Amino acid sequence: MKSSALNISENIQFRLFLLSAIVLLVYKLFISVTGSLAHMLISDLLILLTVAFLFLSLIIYFEKRKASPFSLIMNIGILNAFIFFLITFSDSFMSLLFDNVNERINNPSLTSVLVTLVYLLLIVGFVTYVLVTLRHLFFLRQSKSQQVYFITMIVFFILASLTAPYLSDTKFAFICDTFLIVSVLLMVINSLRISWIAFIVKKEKIALLILSIVIAILFIVNLNNTGDETLHSQMLTSFAPSVKEFASIVMLYGAIYFSVLFFTTLFHIPTAAAFDRKAEEVSSLQYFSKLITQVLDFNELAETVTDITTRIGSADASWIIWRDDEFVPIANKNIGFIDSEKISRFILKKIKWDDINDSTFIRLTDLENKQELSQPYKVAAVSPLRSYGDVKGLLIAVRIGEQKFSDEDKSAIATFSDYASVSIENSQLLEESIEKERLEKELDVAREVQRKILPEKNPEFDQLEISSVFIPAFEVGGDYYDFFKLSDSKLGFVIADVSGKGISAAFIMAEVKGIFESLAKTYLSPKEILVRANDILKHTLDKKTFVSAAYGIIDMEKNQMKMARAGHCPVLLLRGETAQPVKPSGIGLGLSEEKQFEENLDESTIKLEENDTIVLYTDGITEAKNEYLEDFGDKYFTEILLENRKKSAEELSKKVIKEVSMFSHNHMQYDDITLVILKWKQKIKIDGEKEWQSSAPQL
Amino acid sequence: MAEFSTSVVDKGNVSVINLSGYLDAHTAPTLENDFTELIDQNQFKIVVNFRDLAYISSAGLGVFMAYIEKIRDNKGDIKLTNMNEKVYNIFDLLGFPLLYEIFKSEDEAINKFSESDGIGTK
Repeated sequence: MKSSALNISENIQFRLFLLSAIVLLVYKLFISVTGSLAHMLISDLLILLTVAFLFLSLIIYFEKRKASPFSLIMNIGILNAFIFFLITFSDSFMSLLFDNVNERINNPSLTSVLVTLVYLLLIVGFVTYVLVTLRHLFFLRQSKSQQVYFITMIVFFILASLTAPYLSDTKFAFICDTFLIVSVLLMVINSLRISWIAFIVKKEKIALLILSIVIAILFIVNLNNTGDETLHSQMLTSFAPSVKEFASIVMLYGAIYFSVLFFTTLFHIPTAAAFDRKAEEVSSLQYFSKLITQVLDFNELAETVTDITTRIGSADASWIIWRDDEFVPIANKNIGFIDSEKISRFILKKIKWDDINDSTFIRLTDLENKQELSQPYKVAAVSPLRSYGDVKGLLIAVRIGEQKFSDEDKSAIATFSDYASVSIENSQLLEESIEKERLEKELDVAREVQRKILPEKNPEFDQLEISSVFIPAFEVGGDYYDFFKLSDSKLGFVIADVSGKGISAAFIMAEVKGIFESLAKTYLSPKEILVRANDILKHTLDKKTFVSAAYGIIDMEKNQMKMARAGHCPVLLLRGETAQPVKPSGIGLGLSEEKQFEENLDESTIKLEENDTIVLYTDGITEAKNEYLEDFGDKYFTEILLENRKKSAEELSKKVIKEVSMFSHNHMQYDDITLVILKWKQKIKIDGEKEWQSSAPQL
Repeated sequence: MAEFSTSVVDKGNVSVINLSGYLDAHTAPTLENDFTELIDQNQFKIVVNFRDLAYISSAGLGVFMAYIEKIRDNKGDIKLTNMNEKVYNIFDLLGFPLLYEIFKSEDEAINKFSESDGIGTK
């Protein structure tokens, strides 16, 4: 809504300007200037209206443009140069156009009047534009309350320029002189309000110094040309004397404004650098807050750190090196990789990682091969970046040329590196926790896979008590056990351990389950099943992965167990007061080719006796560790089994697990724990046949 | 967990990798790097000395499997020496003695290499 309102009013002002300009042109074209007072008044009124409307529409245009003071000044400079050239060349140009200059002024032709009018309108336009620009400069960084000074000044401009032609040669000349003097006073007062100059940077101030003196001189020259008896001046006078006065006043204002600007800038130059630094410090406060929000992306954070370091420390370049990878500079700001690496190496020769406590400065003068650097870097500021109290990285800022880092730069860099350390530490903490969370999620999936793979419940037989315990490690260990009910009297069982951990182990477990599920139904010999399983796994597993497994079949009609072992822990047979490791030869699955595997795989057959207990386990039990990193061990395991051999399968396994968890309660469980106990219950008359005898405990 | 470190020593035309500490899934990459470097240098005669190795997990065993094929294809071998009883039992359980030559001392393993070299050149 506001902008459209602005547009309309601009249009109205601009249209009014066009209208008054046309009326002025027509008036001037058809009514030749005579000494008549009425004519002069009408012409002045038209000019005043034209200028006023142009002035207003230009104000609106400027406010919309929001130009920087610097570009405004450039505008004034260019316009001045234009006016200067117009004035300078008007003489020769006009004489080319008209045979006789005097003739043209005294007895003007239509063309000459038209050309003159266009020329004069151009001058009026330029002068108005300059005035509006000056107004805009006046209002830069000013409160609105100052408006009254400027308006008063403009009123006096008008009064002075309107009264001058009528009164200057009469006894009332003092009136227009007074107006002029007041105008000049107001010009001086208004020219002193140049607060915007403080807000531009040093480089711009230096440029401004040169520009302002040039423009001030241009204004003086133009003023001089307007006042003198030049053709330009004559033309203006013949057109309307008030316009000449007005142009002169604006030129004078410009000359005063830019002279004052020149001196103000001159006095600002010595403090410009300090002012710039203060401004930088203020803006770097904003950067600090940026640091806090950037902890999500470490690289971005590092870039910001070096960026701010170069700004606040007035350095020419900056980068970071990490202790882990000390010769690889990161987040290079204004410096190439090769240069920064060379300087890093030099710095690391001079200081030790553990010795650096505060920001230090290192002269690069004795850097070898320094001529190879693309810039003559002279001094480096080195600040430690700490994380958890240790120096993890160095923030390096370098300067070209002879100027050293000042004390302010020093403290700015030191303070900043502390802030940067905190941010980097936060960033790493966050990264670690995200990584940890990701890992935990992954392991959750792995444990879920494992849980679904393992049998939900144990099969039930009259002759066989079965218990199974599985305790997953935090990092899923890849343990697997399963039962296959082959017939009413035949039970297949398997226990396996996949090498490696985590999600990959869980997926291999799933594969192993599939393999045994299908093989158990096809083959009726443990040896054959393991041979087939090895064939498959040798070709599907990657080279460094393997699976240890033991497969057995209990035939309840024949009272016997057949089993084969592929690299797995032995199966323990508890009989009477002995624990017999059943350990037929066999290589782990996936380690060797078919032939070698088969040749080295033996099968054991065991006649089962009343209360025979078959214990299947994984190394998660025997390798469970206590706080001294001692193993639970085979021996202790066997002792517990034997002590509790008379308990039921369920109670026995509870007892073992209790002992294991007591043993290792001060140490993290690193591997899955699997314990499967099968207890043979069927009472069968032994018909004198000699089977596996317990004549001598063979441990 | 406890630390793991390796050192590679050249003895004649055989490279000896000395292991110390705990070799598991987390520390295995260190040993993998050693093997990769030796293979890159076309060194296929490798003895691994287990004297200072306290523990090896299944993932640690896997490291040897990862490189053995390539090494044997290049007429080299990995020979294992100086295992303590506990470490040997782990190897033994999995049937590794059937797959690798395991010696009591480093010299025996190195000599074995030079013997087979002698045979090879004759």
